[in-house]
Order: sequence, then structure tokens, then C-alpha cells
Amino acid sequence: MTEKPIGAVARNAADDLAAVERVLAGEVQAFEGIVLRWQAPLVNMAWRYCRDRGRAEELAQEAFVRAWRGLRNWRREGSFSTWLFVLAANVFRSDLKRFPTVDVTLEEVAEPSRPAAQHIALAEALSSETVRRAVLSLPVRYREPVVLFYFHEMDVAAAAETMGMPEGTVKARLSRARALLRRRFPALESELDSGGTGAVHEAQRRFEDG
Amino acid sequence: MDRHENKMDATQLTELDAILATEGELVPSSGFLAAVMERVEGEARMPAPIPFPWKRAVPGFVLTAGVFGWSAVELVRLGVPAMKAHPMAMPNISFAMTLPLDQAGWVALALGISLASWLLARRFVGRSSLL
Repeated sequence: MTEKPIGAVARNAADDLAAVERVLAGEVQAFEGIVLRWQAPLVNMAWRYCRDRGRAEELAQEAFVRAWRGLRNWRREGSFSTWLFVLAANVFRSDLKRFPTVDVTLEEVAEPSRPAAQHIALAEALSSETVRRAVLSLPVRYREPVVLFYFHEMDVAAAAETMGMPEGTVKARLSRARALLRRRFPALESELDSGGTGAVHEAQRRFEDG
Repeated sequence: MDRHENKMDATQLTELDAILATEGELVPSSGFLAAVMERVEGEARMPAPIPFPWKRAVPGFVLTAGVFGWSAVELVRLGVPAMKAHPMAMPNISFAMTLPLDQAGWVALALGISLASWLLARRFVGRSSLL
């Protein structure tokens, strides 16, 4: 994995539109451009839903095939990326409903321990992964807003658009989800200003850059 | 609407947000693009699905609806006078004949309770479909 933010929204809409027109005109190979542009965001989105690399690629592949089948249904009112994300979220959601990823409750997820100084970097990475996996233990109605909110770089409007829900509903569910996670991991409640781990500084840097 | 209005203020971020926001980017495997295109090309080669022949089917639907409608009208037209002419009377069944039916009621109740408990158990293990 590379440590780069996912610039999922900033893509060339004109390229997408041109590729779609060519595909609809019968040029199957033009779909390759769409896959090339969107494969990383879709695989990463699927990864956040299931945290299983193999399954994430299968889900993303399925999403692309559904997009291919339904390309004629894309109305040019919204951006292609929005349509693709909505379609992908539906694919991921329905698949995970049939085959859930985890069967542990939030209470059963272990609290990350405070590391010894010499192992801080490794322990921090493990702790962070525990917290990310804990998201999958949230009740379904709260899990998806969290997944999409952070996938869309903390943009409530984009997450709401992808879920097809009003922003207010997403905000309320997000707030409840964050409360559940904070209750499970009280040590993570500290604000960035109070000084924190590498992940905190990385997030702050990304916010300042973005 | 300015998208940044919806974004969280960096100063409000907690460590939890930081962890969830700083997810490393997963790079799709080298064969991913080829696998997707293989499936897409496979679908493109497949003949287009045959559309349902609505034009041919409509007369059939109309005819079926007409037959059912006519049957219902005839049933009412002939059935109502017949029922008036021969009112239904309950047959006189002896107690000895109805005794096994009392037992059947209990059997039906037991079967109902069994079905309900089976459905409840399936609900607890998270399977909603019947099979």
C-alpha cells in the first residue's frame, strides 16, 4: 500500500463522458479508460466495506461489469463518478448483506494497547487497523455512513449522495457511529491539538494540504 | 453549494477521525484491468437479450382477462339464483364422527407452534429466507 490520499472526486469528467460516448457507440475497448481511471477508487472503496483485498477486487470488478451493463442508464445530469459510486455502493451493500464480513460485536473488539517506546510505529499501525476493523462491527445503518464519509475525505454531501440519503440523516448516523466508536475506544477521544500519534499528524497534514 | 462547507474543521478532529481518515491506498493488482475487460468483452460478445414480445402477447393477455371476466360474470349470474333456490343446510354429523376432528385441531396447533419456533430460531441465527 502507498500512503496517499484517495483523490476520488478530482477526476477528468470530460474524459469519462468521451469514453462513455465511445462505449455506447460500440467501441468496447473505450471502457478500458474508465476502468483505468476508476479502478483504484473502486477497489479502495470496496476495501473499506470489507477489509479483504481479494474480495474488494471481486466486488470492484462486479461493480464495473454492472456499470458496463447499465451505462445507457447514466443520465448526464450528474457526474459519471457520482453515478459510478452510487452503483458500486449498491453492489457492495447487497453483497455484504448476503455474506457479512465480521460476526463479532463492537464490544468484542479488543482495545488497542499502549505500546512500548521501541515498538511505537508498529504498534500504532496495528492499533489503527484494529480501529478501522471495528467500523465493520458497527450496526449496518451506522457502518456505511462511516465508510463513505472517510472514503470521500470527510465530505458529508458526497457520502449522502453516494448513499442516496439526505445529508441530515447521514450526519445523524455518523454522529451516532462516532459516539459508539468513541465509547469503545475512549483513548482516541483526544483532539489533534493535544498532540497525538503519527496518524493524527498525517490526517492534519492532509487537511491542511487539501 | 461549497463542498468545503460540509467538511469537518481540522481543529475538531479527534484521533479517531485521524485514524479513519488516513487509510493507505490499496493499489489494484496487475491483472485487475485485464480481468474486468475480459468479463466486459465476454458480455459484449453475447447476443443481445431477446425483448419480450409485448405486441404479440397483448392479444393473449386481453383474451385471458376477457375469459376470466366472463367466467366471473357467469358464476355470479348463475350462482346467485341457484343459492337462493337451494339454501345451504348444515348436515347432521354424529359425535362419533367428529371426535377424530377434535384431535386434528390439536395436531394443527402443535404443527403451528413447531413452525413458529422454527421460524423464530432461523431469525435468531440471521437467516430470513425459508430455505
